[in-house]
Parts: sequence; C-alpha cells; structure tokens
Amino acid sequence: MADQKPDLNEDSNVLESHAELASSASSARENQLQENGMEPVSLWIILACFFGVLVGGTVLGKSGGFSYNNLTAKGYVTSQPEGGLEKAVQPKPIIDVFAKNGAKIYSAKCQGCHQPNGLGDGANFPPLGNSEWTTSNTLAFSQIILNGVMGPIEVDGRTWNGAMPAQAAGMTPTDLAGLMTYIRNSFGNSTGDVISIEMAENAIAAYKERNSAAPITVAELESKYMSDLEGAVVDPAVKVDPETLIPVAE
Amino acid sequence: MSNDSTKSIDAGLRTAIDKSVSNPVMFFFTSGAVWLAVSVLLGVFTSVKFHTPSFMECFGGLTTGRAYAAHINVLVYGWCFQAAFGTIIWLMSRLTRKEFKSSATVLVAGHLWNVCVGLSLVGILIGKSTGVPWMEFPKFSWVIFLILYLFIAVPVFTQFRVRQGGHVYISQWYLLAALFLFPWIYGTANIFVHVIEGSAVMAAAVASWYKFALIFLFFLPIAFSAAYYIAPKVTGRPVYSYNLALLGFWALVAIGPWMGMQELVGAPIPAFLPYVGATATILFFLPAITVGLNILMTIKGHETLAKQSPALRFTTAGTFGLLALGGFAIWLNLPSVMKGTQFTITGYGFEMLALYGVFSMLIFGAIYFIVPRVTQREWLAPGFIRLHFNISVYAVIAIVIGSILFGILLPGVAQEQFSASWKSSANANLASDWFNTVTWLCALIANVFFCFHLALMWARLGRHSKHPTLLVDHHGGSAHGADGKVQNI
Repeated sequence: MADQKPDLNEDSNVLESHAELASSASSARENQLQENGMEPVSLWIILACFFGVLVGGTVLGKSGGFSYNNLTAKGYVTSQPEGGLEKAVQPKPIIDVFAKNGAKIYSAKCQGCHQPNGLGDGANFPPLGNSEWTTSNTLAFSQIILNGVMGPIEVDGRTWNGAMPAQAAGMTPTDLAGLMTYIRNSFGNSTGDVISIEMAENAIAAYKERNSAAPITVAELESKYMSDLEGAVVDPAVKVDPETLIPVAE
Repeated sequence: MSNDSTKSIDAGLRTAIDKSVSNPVMFFFTSGAVWLAVSVLLGVFTSVKFHTPSFMECFGGLTTGRAYAAHINVLVYGWCFQAAFGTIIWLMSRLTRKEFKSSATVLVAGHLWNVCVGLSLVGILIGKSTGVPWMEFPKFSWVIFLILYLFIAVPVFTQFRVRQGGHVYISQWYLLAALFLFPWIYGTANIFVHVIEGSAVMAAAVASWYKFALIFLFFLPIAFSAAYYIAPKVTGRPVYSYNLALLGFWALVAIGPWMGMQELVGAPIPAFLPYVGATATILFFLPAITVGLNILMTIKGHETLAKQSPALRFTTAGTFGLLALGGFAIWLNLPSVMKGTQFTITGYGFEMLALYGVFSMLIFGAIYFIVPRVTQREWLAPGFIRLHFNISVYAVIAIVIGSILFGILLPGVAQEQFSASWKSSANANLASDWFNTVTWLCALIANVFFCFHLALMWARLGRHSKHPTLLVDHHGGSAHGADGKVQNI
C-alpha cells in the first residue's frame, strides 16, 4: 500500500506518531491482555470441590428438613451438660444448698457424739435440737464449734459436764456456714435463716483473735460472745449454683 | 501495519481511555480512601470501648453502639462502594476499548454520594441510626444511594453495550453480574426492612442476607474482576484456565444469593433457613479455591514480579486472603462450630476478612495499577507502598487470629460451659477486643499513609517519569520494562 502513495503514507505514520505522542509511559509499557488460557483443570481442584459439596450436603442434611413449623434444629441446644439436661446441676435456694453441704460436715465431725438425729445420747452429749445455744447468738454458737466447750453448760433444762473438743481444724468458712445453717434448721430447729460465708469468715476471725487452745467456757461465752455474727443478711430463698455457690440470675 | 505500530496505537488508545475516566476514577479512589481512614479510626474507638468502656465516655456520639455502626457503615458505603465504583468504571472502559463519555454525570453522582455518606454518618452519631446491621444509615439515605447508583451504573452498562469487539473478558462477567445484582439486593433488603412492616425476626434475617449478598455478590465479584485483570496484565501471560474461571463465576452467582441466614441459627425462624445459609456459605469454598487458584496459577512463575510490582503484590496477598476466607467459610459453618460463633465477634471477623483481607487488598492492587495510568504520573514513594502492604497484612493476620480464632476458642467455648456464669464467657471476649484494637491501629497507620500518597497523586504531584515505581530494586528484566526503556513501543 505504501508503494501506491509515495508522497504521504497516511496509513500508519500519522496515527502512530500521534499515539506515541499521546500515550503516557505507564499505558505504553503495559502488556496486552491475552486470550484465556486453556490449561486442564487439575484433579486436585475437582476433588477439593467435591469435598466442599460433601461437607455442605452433610450440613444441609442436619437442618431437619423443609418445614416452616420447625423452629429449632435437631441437636441445637446452646447449653447441654454431660448426661443430658435431667442430670444438669439446677440452681437451688441457698438455704437448701448450704444445709446439704452442712449435713456432710455434720456426719463427718459431729454425729459421733451428738448422734445422727442431733439429740445427743442423753448421758454425756447434749442435744442440738431444742437448744438455745444453737438457735440464738450465732457468734457464741460458732465459737463453741471452733473452740470446743468445757462444761458445765446448761442445755435443754439440764447441766452437762463433758468437754467438747475444738473443731476448727480444716474448717473453711464455707464448711462452717453450711454446718451452722444445717444445725439451725434441723433436729427440730427451724430458724429459717442462712449463715452466710461472710458471717462464717467473721466467726473464724473471732476464733483466731481468741488465740487459745483451751476450750471455751460458758463464763467466757457470756462475757464476750452473746451476740449474732456480723455480715450482710442473705435471703434464704435466693437461688445459687450448687457447685459454685454463686447466685444465679433467674 | 507493523506489529510495533499496532502496539503504539493501542498505547495511544489506552491513554485516551485513561484520560477520559481520570476525574471520576481518581475522585472515587481518593474520597474512598479518606472514608477508609475515618472508618478505621472509628474501628479503633469501637474496639477500645469494648475492653476499656470508660474511653471517651464524655462524647455521646462515640458510645459503642454508635461508633460501631458508624465504623461499619462508613467502611461499606464510604470506602468499599467508592473503591468499587472507581474500579468498575476504569475496568469497563479499558475492556470495552472505548473512551468513557459520562464522566461528568458520574462525577456529580459521586459528589452527592459523598454528601449522603457524610450526612448519614452525622445521623448515626447523633443517634438516628436505624439499628439494622449494615443498614444503620438513617432511612432517607437508601433511596438516594439507589438513585445515585443508577446514575453511575447506567453509563457503565451503556459503555458495555457500545463496546468494540465481541469478546467478553472474564473481568467483564463479574462486573456485569455485580452491576445487575446490586439493585436487586439493595432494593429487596431495604424494602423488606424499611418499607414493609413485618416480623422483626424476619427483618433480622433479611439484614443478614443483605450483608452476605452485598459482600459475595457485589464487592467480591468486583475484586475478582480486578484480580482477573491485574494478574494476567502484569505477568503478561493468559489467565491459567478459562474453564476454571467459568466454574468459579457460575458457582459464585448460583451460591451467593443463598448465603447469610446462618447468622440466625438458634433464632426463632424456620430451622432450615440458617442451615441453607450455612450450606451455601460452605459451598463458597468452591468459587474461593477456583478463583484463588486460577489467579495464583496465573502469577506462578513470576514471583519476582509479585514482589516488585505493588499491584501484583497486593493482588497476590488478597488472593491468599480469599483462600483463607474459603477455608473459614467451611469451618465456621459446621453445626458444631456454628453454635460457638453466636454472641461472639467471629462473624465480624469473617466479614472483615472478606472486606479488608480480600476485597480491599485486591482493590488496593487495582488502585496501584490504575492510578499511575489515569494521572500519568508514577507513585512517589515505594516506602509508603511497602509500609501500606506490610501493615495491612499484619492487620489481616490480627483479624484472623483475634476475631475469628479467639472469637470461637475463648468466648464461644466459654458459653457452652453449663455452670459458668455468663460474665465469665463475656470476659473471654477481652482477648479478641485487644486484638481488634491492634488490628485497627495497624490498619490506621497503613491507611493514613495510603490516603496521603493517593492524595498526592490526585494533586498530580506524582513522579513524571518513564520508570515505574517498584517495591524491590530489580536487576534485569521486568514486565514493566527495563530501566529507562519502555516495553512494547
């Protein structure tokens, strides 16, 4: 074509030179996009896709089917303890939980003398039921448990001359609170209140303050300890987790 | 005509096209980058409020609920949409080989879009949020956004109709799909939430569907479109496999509309809905690995380029992010794991991985490619780009570890403890919250530099040179042309 137009080659020169003038460096150095490649699709990619479809299908299968009435997928329960809901630890009133814990301490430490029914043996060991010492003046009651007590002591219209050994060894505030709550609501006693852990801590503090290995006497009790334990009063009906003893919101 | 002269004419046409879209594209990218920095700053406020509630408590506008809503919505409507618009316009013009005629219309729509984002942000901060996730902007805004969208999308579609040549490239499939799917997604969601008074639970389900449809049927297709353009363009080889691209595209279009409602597993909606959503999200693994591997196989063998070229480096990182997203899509939607993701920030982590780790990283790649062309200047400082890249990668890793992994392992597992108090499982979120603060502080540093760099380019202060800005000093060949020489002329 150029041969036929010897004086002016308008096919290429004009466009070319304009293009070259107009193009910016970055546009000019670009590669052209090429036709799409036709590499064979790797078997691994196909297998991976099958894996995805398989997992997806499994999940779809767990949906419980197409139903507008089914609002909860099968097996979807956010919280399920081991062994199912029936065996779950259910929140209970704090008084029941404390008394239950206290009963265990009682059977380990107390019932040898005071008997499983809490009424003593009628000869050497006084009853805990129907006793002013257990149902009033919780500070005095706590000090009897922790320090032991040296007779004579008047209980249920009788004077007892035995000596009760101290029970403070290994007694945690939780144990003491449970034990006192149990005794004050068993064996015919029904104060209906709870010795809180805070109160039990104060009792142990008072025991440590006394700092004596000798069992406490009635005279000493009457001089210093005839009062209730300090600490916030807990509503006996409040529900707590039986294991953590932490109140549970309803 | 000789091969050389064809190439030279091609280069001239490319330059003419780039000039024709220069104003709207630079406007969208730059204003988007500013909103991204704002959103990331709000992200820092939000996560700090989670672990240190007394932070900035004197500002009512920055309480957790408002700051979080502002953070997400500015990210989506301020940054993601505008970055997407800039990419759509440039890619569509380049791929149809015609100059773009509607720059003025689009530019006006773009300015109004920014005004609307700004007003809506103020609306959220003064307490006028709608409270629907990702649709917190006050009610007036959705109609305006939809109309403005049409003013941007119609010229782009017109551009496609008047294209030169019949071949429709892979990137164009995704662009067209996104262009047509968006009005459907956005219209449906807003009508069901804002117009039709229905069950509140169903509105929550629609909002979850909207969130996922927006990510997987609008943002990610545009990011894929950019990746399918950048990877073969920079490496100079064809896309690895056309069949794989077909599979990836149709899988995404078929699966995308079903995703989203898995977020409501355990909520009182028909039980099959969340399970269908979970299944679809698991199936997202298919498009994720097909697209991801297709792009990585295209880049394979050009590792040096992937280090040197900012565009290819971000594209490669975003593609790895896509593979991670596909993996998490499976794991997070297994019924046993799904339980643990309720009431934790795992879902947020997944969304952020999609929006930042995949969409933003791929779009950053496109921006680093597009901006030197439309401004006809080279990037100023490779140091800024390296910093933007490295810290962005740290932020994405922190999202994965902090939000997705810790989000399940700590609070999710703690919630399943029957006898533990709710407070103890809520406290298990603290690790994620601290990680999030680190994430967004990283992203803040990275994006302040990015925003500044982009603003300098917008002001036409870029280097006037024939040397591309590369991240690693190169010896020998580069697809961008050897030093001082421009290839393909």
